[in-house]
Amino acid sequence: MSETIITTRGLAKVFQLNKHQVPALRGVDLDVCEGEFLAVVGPSGSGKTTFLNLVGALDVPSSGDLMVLGRRIAGLSRRARAELRLRSIGFVFQAYNLVPVLTALENVEFVLELQSMGRERHARATQVLDELGLGDLANRRPNELSGGQQQRVAVARAVAARPRLVLADEPTANLDGENAETLMHMMRDLRDRHGMTFVFSTHDPRVVRHTARVVTLADGRVVRDEEKPGEAPHEVLPGVGAPPGPAGA
Amino acid sequence: MAWVSAKYAVRSVGRNARRTALAILGIGIGCALALFMESINRGRDELFARMGAYSGAGHVRVVPGNWNERRDPRLRLADWRHDLAAARALPGIAAVTVRARAQVLLAMGTHVVPVEMVGVDPENEPRTFRFVQRVQRGRYLRPGEPAAVVVGKAIAERLNADLDDEILASAMGRGGSIESAMLRIVGIVTTGSDDVDAGICQTNLEEVERLSDLAGAGEVTVILRDWRQTDAARAALASQVARGDEVLTWGEISPEFKGHIEQDKATSRFISGVILLIVLLGVASAQLAAVLERRREFAVLSAVGMSARRMVRLVLLEAMTLGFAGAVVGLALGLPVVWRVATVGLDFRKYMGSGYAFQGVIIDPVFYGDFGLWIVPYVLAVAFGATIIASLYPAWFAARTDPAVALRVAQ
Repeated sequence: MSETIITTRGLAKVFQLNKHQVPALRGVDLDVCEGEFLAVVGPSGSGKTTFLNLVGALDVPSSGDLMVLGRRIAGLSRRARAELRLRSIGFVFQAYNLVPVLTALENVEFVLELQSMGRERHARATQVLDELGLGDLANRRPNELSGGQQQRVAVARAVAARPRLVLADEPTANLDGENAETLMHMMRDLRDRHGMTFVFSTHDPRVVRHTARVVTLADGRVVRDEEKPGEAPHEVLPGVGAPPGPAGA
Repeated sequence: MAWVSAKYAVRSVGRNARRTALAILGIGIGCALALFMESINRGRDELFARMGAYSGAGHVRVVPGNWNERRDPRLRLADWRHDLAAARALPGIAAVTVRARAQVLLAMGTHVVPVEMVGVDPENEPRTFRFVQRVQRGRYLRPGEPAAVVVGKAIAERLNADLDDEILASAMGRGGSIESAMLRIVGIVTTGSDDVDAGICQTNLEEVERLSDLAGAGEVTVILRDWRQTDAARAALASQVARGDEVLTWGEISPEFKGHIEQDKATSRFISGVILLIVLLGVASAQLAAVLERRREFAVLSAVGMSARRMVRLVLLEAMTLGFAGAVVGLALGLPVVWRVATVGLDFRKYMGSGYAFQGVIIDPVFYGDFGLWIVPYVLAVAFGATIIASLYPAWFAARTDPAVALRVAQ
C-alpha cells in the first residue's frame, strides 16, 4: 500500500481583510497517498488555491492539522518550509512564472542550483527538457516560447529535482485544447515513470478527465471525494518524452 | 559558484534599461564627485604637510625634553651635534638643519621691534625654510659671516631700516646681563604676508649663541622626502637622539595648523558623505522599485524553495553589478578631471591672492589633487559600498516576500 504523504484534519484557514475575518477553508479532512493524480475542483472562492498553498507549505493553517511528507507544517519555521519546498515539492503555476531573463535550460538549472546540485545539474536539466520535448528550445528565453512551451518548461522546472509532490494551480487555464492535453499526458507520464504525486487545483474538465481522484471543495469544505474507476486513456504523444527510465532516478 | 544565479542577477540589471542607465549614471556621478573630493583631500594633505614643514616646523624636529610644555626659546638641546648626526643618518632625509632662538630687541634710531631671532646654519636653512630660498632684496646669509642679519619686510619697515643699515640687537644673557651686537641687514624677505614677514629674523647660529649667552642649538629640524613617513621617522629618530632630548612631529609643533587641516578634511569628508548619501538614496529608490515590480517573481522564487538568504544575495549581486557599472562610469567621468587637477591644479589666486597665512604658514593658492593607484580601488569601494548599503533594505524587502500573499495578490 502507498504511503500517505498528505494528511489534513480539520484544516482551516482564515484571512484577515481589514477588520473582517474571511474563512477560506473551514475544516478539511483529506488523505493523499504517494503516486496519486488528484484534482481539487470547485467554484472560484471555494478554497482550492488556499488548500494548495497550505499543502505546498507556502502558508500555515489557522487551525487544524496538516502533515505533508511527514512534516507538521504549522510547526515549521519559514526557513524549514522553504527547505521542504526546495527538496520535496514542485510547483506549476497558472501563469507559468518563469524567470524572464533566463533561458528555458537556465530556468530548470536554477532550481537545481538552489539545491546545491553540482556539475550534473546541467545534464539533469537537459535531460528533463528532452523528456518534455523541449530539447530544441533549451536556449530560448520565455518570451520566445509559446504559452504551451512555457508551461512545459514550468513543469520541467517543477519536476527536475524529482520532488515527491507536485502541486499545479490551474496549469491549463491559459492553454488551448491541444497544449492542455499534451501537458496532462506529460505529467501523467512523469507520475508513471518517477512515482511523483500530482495535486491539481482546477476547474478545467480537461484536467479532471486525466485524474484518478477528484476532491470537490465548496465554501471551504470538502463536499465530494470521488475515486474514478479508471483514468482516461494515456499515451505519450509522438515526439514528446523519452523512453522510461528507472523510477526516482 | 552559482553561475545561473550570477547570470540571473546580471541580466536582471538590464530589464529596465532607462532606470538602470539613470541609476548607473547617478552612481557614476557620485563616484566621480567622491573621487574628486578625495583627490583634493589627499593633495591638500600633501600640500599642507609640505607648507607646514617648509615654513619652519620641518616634518620632525628634535627639541629639548620639556620644550613642548614651555616653548621657551632659551632651551637648548642636550647634545645638538649628536642629534644632528642621528638625524642625518635617518633614511629618506631631504634636508636637516639646526637652529637656536633668542628673544631680541632690534633697534634703529628711535624705532624698536621685539623679535624672535633665529640663529641658523646658512648652508642648510634654505633647504628647510622656503621663505629664505629667494631673498627679494639683498642676499641670504653666508656660512660663518659675522654680524649679518636677514629680516622680513615688515620688520625692516617697523625699524625704518633698509639694506646695509646697521641695527642694534639686544638680548638678555644667562646671568641677567644685557648682551648686544650691531648687525648689518644683508637681505630683506617679502613673503606676501605681514604676519609671516614679522617673524623672519635670521642670523648665524654663533651670533645667537653670543647674544643669548647660551651655547649650542635649540632644535634640529628634519625634512623628509616623503611626508607620509613622518611617524616612522619620528619613531626611528626618537631612539637615537641624545638623552634628555625628544622628537616631535610637525603636527605636535603646530597643533593649531594641524587642527586647521583636520577641520578642513572633516568638512570635505562631510560634503563627500552628503553626495554619497544622495546617491545612496537614489540607488535605494531604484532598487526598491525594481524589487516591488518583481514581487511576484520573488514569490515564485520563494515558492520553489529559494531561501531568504539566497534572495538577499541575489539582490545584492544585482546591486554589485550596478555598482561595477557605476564605478566604470565614475572612472570615465572622474579620471580626466582628477588628472587635470593633479597636473594643472585648482587655481584660487583670484580669491586668495598669492596665498593665505595661517599660524605662520603661507598656503599656496594653487591646490593640486592626488593621482595614483589608489583611485581604482577607491572608486570600486565607493561604488560597491554605496550600492550594497542602498540595496540592503530592498534585499530585506525581497526576502520578506510572503509567497502565498504575493501570488494571491498577483492572481
